[in-house]
Amino acid sequence: MSIKKEAYNALESVVGSKYLTDDPAICEGYRSGPGGYESGLGYERVMTKIPGAVILPKTTEEVQRIVKICNRYKVPYVPYSTGFYGPRSHCHVENELLVDLKRLNHFEIDEKHFYVVVGSGVIYSPIQQEAMNKGAYVVIGGGGAQASAIANLIGDGWSPLSHRIGLPHRRILGTELVLPDGELVKMGSLAVGDDPFWGDGIGPDLRGLLRGYTGLRGCLGIVTKMAIKTLPFQPEPLVPTGLSPNTGLKLPEKRVKWINYQLPNKEAQVKAMYEIGKAEIAGAVTKVPLFWRAIAKAECKEEFWELWGKESEETIKNFFIVRVLLIGYTSEEQMKYDENVLNDIMKELGGIPRPTKPTDESWIKNADSAGMWLMCGSYVSVDYVIETLSQATVHGEYYAELKKKYTPPLMPDYGDPGWFQSFELGHQGYSEFLIYWDQDEDTTGVDHFYLETSKMNIRERFYTSLLGPHQPLYLTGPKYGPNYHEWLLKIKDEFDPLWVCHPPVPLAHDEFVERAEWMKPLKDWETPKKFPMPQ
Amino acid sequence: MRKEEMFDTPKKKVSLDVTNLENFVYDMSRCIKCKGCYWVEHTYMPGINFSVRCPSNLWNDFDAYGAFGKMRIGIAIQEGRLKWTDKLLEIIYADPLCGACDVGCKRNLDLEIELTLEALRIKAVKDGVGPMPAHKKIAKNIETKHNQFGAVHENRKKWISKDINVAEKADVLYFVGCSSSYVNQGIAKSTAKILNAAGTDFMLMGDEWCCGNTLYSVGMIDEAREIAKRNIEAVKASGAKTLLVSCAECYRMWKVDYPKMLNIATADLGFEVIHLIEFADKAIANNSLKPKKSVDVRFTYHDACSVSRLCDPWTPWEGERGWMGTVSPRLKRRRGQQGLYFQARNILNAIPGAKFVEMPRTRENALCCGAGRGTKEAFPELAQFSAKQRIDEVKYVSAEVLVSACPWCKTNFTQAIKENGDGIKVMDISEFILSSLEI
Repeated sequence: MSIKKEAYNALESVVGSKYLTDDPAICEGYRSGPGGYESGLGYERVMTKIPGAVILPKTTEEVQRIVKICNRYKVPYVPYSTGFYGPRSHCHVENELLVDLKRLNHFEIDEKHFYVVVGSGVIYSPIQQEAMNKGAYVVIGGGGAQASAIANLIGDGWSPLSHRIGLPHRRILGTELVLPDGELVKMGSLAVGDDPFWGDGIGPDLRGLLRGYTGLRGCLGIVTKMAIKTLPFQPEPLVPTGLSPNTGLKLPEKRVKWINYQLPNKEAQVKAMYEIGKAEIAGAVTKVPLFWRAIAKAECKEEFWELWGKESEETIKNFFIVRVLLIGYTSEEQMKYDENVLNDIMKELGGIPRPTKPTDESWIKNADSAGMWLMCGSYVSVDYVIETLSQATVHGEYYAELKKKYTPPLMPDYGDPGWFQSFELGHQGYSEFLIYWDQDEDTTGVDHFYLETSKMNIRERFYTSLLGPHQPLYLTGPKYGPNYHEWLLKIKDEFDPLWVCHPPVPLAHDEFVERAEWMKPLKDWETPKKFPMPQ
Repeated sequence: MRKEEMFDTPKKKVSLDVTNLENFVYDMSRCIKCKGCYWVEHTYMPGINFSVRCPSNLWNDFDAYGAFGKMRIGIAIQEGRLKWTDKLLEIIYADPLCGACDVGCKRNLDLEIELTLEALRIKAVKDGVGPMPAHKKIAKNIETKHNQFGAVHENRKKWISKDINVAEKADVLYFVGCSSSYVNQGIAKSTAKILNAAGTDFMLMGDEWCCGNTLYSVGMIDEAREIAKRNIEAVKASGAKTLLVSCAECYRMWKVDYPKMLNIATADLGFEVIHLIEFADKAIANNSLKPKKSVDVRFTYHDACSVSRLCDPWTPWEGERGWMGTVSPRLKRRRGQQGLYFQARNILNAIPGAKFVEMPRTRENALCCGAGRGTKEAFPELAQFSAKQRIDEVKYVSAEVLVSACPWCKTNFTQAIKENGDGIKVMDISEFILSSLEI
């Protein structure tokens, strides 16, 4: 399979023969699965293709020219930065061009005004290190240390550090977007100059369309540059220690410290998070699933199952940890003050401090470590909810209940309600539900569970991330809107009338249900006879 | 996990036998493209510069040249979906198999990346398409002249000068290797003098042959296995208790790949295998080696792959894979933790007068020089590219001398520096130690 010869020749004139190929072996290297986020699932098997060609542009101008050629020759294309986000960031149709953005690795840091400007190929951990070298920090979160910062910030971008740093869209100061037809749009204060000091541009801004809750997965153009806000951190170095795989950042304990508290019950756990937020202390406040602790303790996959096998519904039910990261942003005295306040809160709520390592392995330079895959081989964070703290916790419990029906093939986790935490000093609560399975098992149940979660969210009126391109649009759109789907499709038609940019997103999940026989029994919503997109 | 809670997952026989790519289908299919194999591990991530540890994918940006691409390609090869082509051979062979991807993956996913890459090359040879023409020439040289270079076999011991004492019989046998015997004789001389200075008698093999590193590394396992048998027999016949090497590639071959090919444990070789680094570290600690002469330079150290992330001892393993991909019996995975990282630094910090500065990428995160395992011979431009990347790092820390522990690194760096005119001196650790001894 390949793209049209005329298009190929035109593309070659943009980047040269070194950075364009339709070689089958190289294209095979861009296959979505079989491993990875959401991989091994029906969606990956049914909806992803090997690219017809791969191109590696270096500049925004090259991206524009590529996109214009794709429009001229009607070559579908998909933007791809680091490729971590599973099937959704890979080709969905035959003879598609994969635009690999890793060479867009522009980086600059403005120490005085606290921001960085990055290209699509720049990942999280180097940004964090550069920021820390200048007394600042940032959170990109989402896909973690090795995933593209831009991809994360237009998709997910949250982590425990969001307790203080806040939601991802608030950190985007300026964006350079190549629209699906090749036109260049600059957003935020970049719209009126080169100074990315403020996230909002003049008049109506496209930022919401690009990102929204969790983004449009590359179907509305290619982001080539982004200015990201950094915030003041503290001056002491976080020193790397240990030998792989047992590495961590040694924390300067008078300025940075994790403390784990065991709370007596759920109410106290949530109340602790509220109170910490109210007191405006801490850099992170989170409750992680118990199986993460088993991952951290285990030396290997086999040991994980030994440790996890010792747990039960009873231990999960009584697991009320609150993990707090204290940061002495301004001084050691401030840190002491925060710790005193924290101790007062915990004392009142019956929280008992537990031994905590003086290192950080997962969050400050990482987030969502790839170790998630260790246990079963396959993983996805099936949903994220941003709500009030008390509501966020309820969401995970509903998910855990629904999951029972699909275990197996899902991993037995004794009803663990997932991860929840404080965002923006307790003004928001965040819940994330994670599922695990072995892709060699029959994964029909996982596919069904995924879809059923959407129906559950509709039924229970959860404010969920599983909208737009994440689930069948004709299922979720009429229920969240009531014409959300029509609006989204009009947006797509307006900006990408030929649907050359990552087709058939945002109708990819609708297509999947149509094509996958095993999904049909679950289809109880109306769809048009023919999906409204160019063939 | 309690039995009643486990699903009925059929068990599959599996082993670490690299002659069968099927053994690594699980590993290939569980790669998640996190690219921990490509980037420096996040805790040690130095910043925007020097952030990559994979020389192949740094040299060629397409995903296919990274381990994550090769895992997908490997499955396609195993399933017969991809035909061998020149480009495919380039993807498989333009790679120094430096192990950076393997340790990166083992921080998170514990997949056997290095063994998979080796198995892919063995399959290429088995399928009649590998190795590369340059490798075939080396194989011919080894077959006819018992050394990589096609040099005269009888000249192998010509490096021995009058001021070096070689014993007829000793507990320690110094295996010199091709490079130090013919090209980097300073390493052989320095090693011998260090042994002499420490009062440790050593002997040489009566008739030393190549260790077979390139043969094994390019997938010619049958030929490499024959050499392994021959060399092990020769050591046993000599009565040596310890085999000492000064070449990182020889070290890995003797310690890891010989046992791997013969399906025995390193501990069952019948003798101990050590690198000069281990010897010198102990000798300095017990005062038998006294680096007293001041060496007034600012220097840095390059962790050669085969004395670092690639040298954990080998233990054969076969068993079954079942529930959630777990294996039984328990597999002690090789994660590069037994590399000679600290021993080398103990030595270097004991050199008086010398100012040791670390590069941003060190130990398991070091960027390979790019020369090893058949790469320089078949893809010299990749070897030069990687060496230049590393030299940029040497310059970044303002070092005057670059020290390594492998003659192949020394040759590659020296050539790259010569081409670039960088004025940095490259020394092997043996030469660096010798420069601090009052002899």
